[in-house]
Amino acid sequence: MLSSDQEDLRLLRESARTLFERAGGSGRARKLRDASGGWDSDMIGELAGAGVFGVTVPEANGGLGMGLAAGGVIAEEVGRVIAPEPVVLTIGLSLGLLRRLRPDHPKMEQLINGETNLAVAWQERGPGGAPADATCRYVDGKLTGNKAWVVGAAGSHGFLVVAEGGAGPVLVLTEATAAGLSVDKRVQADGSSLGELSFSGTPAEQLAEGSAVQDALTEAISDATALAAAELVGLSQRAFEITLDYIKTREQFDKPIGSFQVIQHRAVDLNVMLEVAQACVREVLAQMDCETVPKIRARLASRAKARAVTAAKKITRDAIQLHGAVGYTDEFEIGLYLNRALVLSAWLGDDAYHRRIWLDAREEEGAAQ
Amino acid sequence: MTDWNAMSDAEFRKEVHQFFETEYPEELRHLPHRPKFAEIEHWHRKLHAKGWVAPAWPAEYGGMGLNAAKLLIFYEEQQRGGVNRGRDMGVQMVGPLIIKFGTQKQKDYWLPRILSCEDIWCQGYSEPGAGSDLANLRTRAEFDGDDFVINGQKIWTTMAHDATHIFMLVRTDPNAPKKQQGISFLLAPMDQPGVDVRTITTLSGETEFCEVFFDNARTPRENLVGELNKGWSMAKALLSFERIFIGSPGLAQNALGQLESFARGRGAFDDPVFRDRFAQAALDVEDHAALYARFADQLRRGETLGADVSMLKIWVTECFQRITELMIEAAGPDGGTVGPLQVGNVNVDVLASFYKARPTTIYGGSNEIQRNILSKAVLGLPD
Ligand SMILES: Cc1cc2nc3c(=O)[nH]c(=O)nc-3n(C[C@H](O)[C@H](O)[C@H](O)COP(=O)(O)OP(=O)(O)OC[C@H]3O[C@@H](n4cnc5c(N)ncnc54)[C@H](O)[C@@H]3O)c2cc1C
Repeated sequence: MLSSDQEDLRLLRESARTLFERAGGSGRARKLRDASGGWDSDMIGELAGAGVFGVTVPEANGGLGMGLAAGGVIAEEVGRVIAPEPVVLTIGLSLGLLRRLRPDHPKMEQLINGETNLAVAWQERGPGGAPADATCRYVDGKLTGNKAWVVGAAGSHGFLVVAEGGAGPVLVLTEATAAGLSVDKRVQADGSSLGELSFSGTPAEQLAEGSAVQDALTEAISDATALAAAELVGLSQRAFEITLDYIKTREQFDKPIGSFQVIQHRAVDLNVMLEVAQACVREVLAQMDCETVPKIRARLASRAKARAVTAAKKITRDAIQLHGAVGYTDEFEIGLYLNRALVLSAWLGDDAYHRRIWLDAREEEGAAQ
Repeated sequence: MTDWNAMSDAEFRKEVHQFFETEYPEELRHLPHRPKFAEIEHWHRKLHAKGWVAPAWPAEYGGMGLNAAKLLIFYEEQQRGGVNRGRDMGVQMVGPLIIKFGTQKQKDYWLPRILSCEDIWCQGYSEPGAGSDLANLRTRAEFDGDDFVINGQKIWTTMAHDATHIFMLVRTDPNAPKKQQGISFLLAPMDQPGVDVRTITTLSGETEFCEVFFDNARTPRENLVGELNKGWSMAKALLSFERIFIGSPGLAQNALGQLESFARGRGAFDDPVFRDRFAQAALDVEDHAALYARFADQLRRGETLGADVSMLKIWVTECFQRITELMIEAAGPDGGTVGPLQVGNVNVDVLASFYKARPTTIYGGSNEIQRNILSKAVLGLPD
């Protein structure tokens, strides 16, 4: 399999990095945030041109067939420049669902070509505000109910919605402009937004039904979770580099602050944290490419996300501390990394959540043996 | 005039609680941002009429004259009720300094104006090159007739855009043999052509601190507090006061209360892992209060606090940060969401608390600097 080919991954990393750096690095993310909080459709086109969205889609279905390890390489580069484009969303969730359920559907090609973006809606909010069981229904071609925490809702052309059909779950497609659909935007720390969707008799096309839908959703969530972990690793790596540069140059008491031993030890600890996270996430992605049992893949993804969130939180928070007051400004780049880390950590479960899932899965596997 | 100190602690607590409970405007409770004066003016008027603007000042200067134990109760109730501190740099910082080092004339003029908020103060210490190394400050003040003429730049000046006056450390003798010498403590009006204030946006999008540029700004000679070139040791005396204030349990207690109501609403207390983390945080806060009380007792006995007071700030600010991190955890998929999150019929602004906690380990002497102080001055570790 190509995913084990280190040279291919290296080339992929180089081209993704060049593409993002040329586009303006993290400065581009700031501009987009200040303009609208959305993403840049030209960039979507460029990414599609580089084969980014189809990276894990089999070649037979129009993708590169390179596996999650390659997806992770791209996600790390996205994280480094905190790009707001829906890369992990598309690779992991939208295409993750479609390629498993409807590889024949025309939206596949459109997603791979960057002509369309689809957000994925499956979770629902209970009365207390926390996640709750799904009640959104799909009857006679129409959706009724609510969905919450929909990443990319603001910029997408349509939604892939998991709803309750007549006989078990269904996956349906609805256009963003469909009648009876309203999207309430919740602004996030990084300027992006989460959508709270409400459907009242909204027309939608059924794409799949039955237990296959739940199975594909589980798998797609595992993929997206592991890829989000990779995005956090890239983010942490860049946040660490920025901080390292800063402590080498900022002087107090007539010396660079990086000459104080306590600062040196802090920097070393963050570096160790980063390296462990990177090794973990890369290993997990490679293992997920070879693993076929969904429960094991889910456990692996939890391992990656738990580690990546732990590292990203620690690294971005300590980065602010090591910058002093400039770290607390909007003007300085490092704050953007803290804010993006907050959003990526909360998406698809934070570290505490995934440690619980990981342990449950591990015990379940142990009991089964 | 009421002798608050003669009351029992329980009585006093009840009285304070009652006042904050009934008189504090509901819409200002647990404000997620630092308000401008106009926003809290009506509350300030009430507080002023009651004579409660300056709980720590001696009664002869218009304060409540509270002893340390009563002061602790006052701040606890203030925090618990989500009562905003208001624009209190005058009361907390410049007032005590004038009381201690100012002339009678300065006291008579400035103190009532601080209490009434006729003057609103900001603190001009830090400069781009003088953060942790504050003694490195370069802003100059030179005599010109009856005035000082000020040139230079201050930065991170909290709420300078909503202040009428600035108290500042300036260099008055650039040729002094040591950096700490040749620094003076000056009061200056902000509303003049030589002072230019530019706001700085924080990473949470608030404008709460500023850069302040001085280009031949002027202030009368009589606005020098204390002796010329002796500002450093005066400011340090104030800092140790600031450290017990900054080390008080209020912020962490308040955050813990918010965490609890939020997490209960979200059902997090059903989770044994969360329960343990919450219990840890709650005990961290409670046990810190015990240590705080030890220092407060020292003050009550009239002793001056030693360098060891720094440990309060280290403990409580880091605890505050952990509590707000736990709030984010309890928020689950809403953990990156800006603005108040609804749980039942309460709103908790989780991210605002998180952001508020971040710089507490940076300002007021960073926690690294506090640890340096403790290791040298308390533990006696060699250089
Ligand atoms: C929200 C906020 C409000 C503020 N309000 C005011 C205000 O109203 N008025 C005012 O004058 N100032 C204010 N400040 C400034 C504050 O006092 C400074 O930020 C603080 O003194 C640290 O200085 P610095 O930011 O330049 O960081 P630096 O001194 O550059 O420190 C950067 C990092 O290096 C570490 N470091 C520095 N020296 C050492 C050392 N010797 N050993 C180990 N570690 C070290 C620090 O701990 C920090 O982690 C405010 C700051 C913030 C964040």
